[in-house]
Amino acid sequence: MASLVTCPHCGARPKEEFTVKGAALTRPAPDASQETWFDYVYLRDNPRGAYQEYWHHTSGCRRWLVVNRDTATHEIFETRDAARKVTA
Amino acid sequence: MSKYRVTLRPALDGKQPIQRNGVSLEARPEGTLLHLLAPPSTNELPCFSEYAANLSLRPVSPGQWFAVGDTALPHADLQALASSLKSEADIVDQSHGRIRILVRGPMAMRVLAKGTAVDLAIFPVGHSATTLIGHITAHVTRIDEDAFELIVLRGFAESLWDELVQMSLEFS
Repeated sequence: MASLVTCPHCGARPKEEFTVKGAALTRPAPDASQETWFDYVYLRDNPRGAYQEYWHHTSGCRRWLVVNRDTATHEIFETRDAARKVTA
Repeated sequence: MSKYRVTLRPALDGKQPIQRNGVSLEARPEGTLLHLLAPPSTNELPCFSEYAANLSLRPVSPGQWFAVGDTALPHADLQALASSLKSEADIVDQSHGRIRILVRGPMAMRVLAKGTAVDLAIFPVGHSATTLIGHITAHVTRIDEDAFELIVLRGFAESLWDELVQMSLEFS
């Protein structure tokens, strides 16, 4: 796992300051089928390569971040505050 | 009525200041420590300075600050401050809950570098950061060229003090 995470508020910090929550997925609609919700809650891909996760800067600014990283090379492409909406 | 009487005593009561070659440790008085909370997009609190001249403001995280002072703030003053800041931020009095430790001297940076990953060499005077020192979360402020003030939760204060004593042993 990447050992230095650049927090958008605090700068580069060691991974020990963070807590990983898991994949950053788009929440299904409230009335989506049970299958879709089961998938969202329990089923995870385990990709080799690019992965988007929620990280919490527990021992720093205590903000939730979205970390875009590579599970194979440990490279971090982008980190942003989870409250910041992405303009795609 | 409990037969045990609750008595107030400082968290670092009985810890004498530590004086080493090039670094000293000192427990700061438990005066005033207010936690100011505003929406995360808030960059500054323009109303603060005019109402609290003897408190210094230190950024904690987006929209959050610690206001720190050496003397206890009378309840009336706290109320006045809270109402004047009402439109900007909420105040939580943490004077009892967080402890300040001063690490001073030319070797202070070398001592703290053993515990934290924050690069203190490029840390400007007046700058603050929340980080880990060992396994304890602490808020670090460079208050002078050779002085760092740590703010730590009361329950961790004694542990952090003992760790700092260990970390500074090489300069004794």
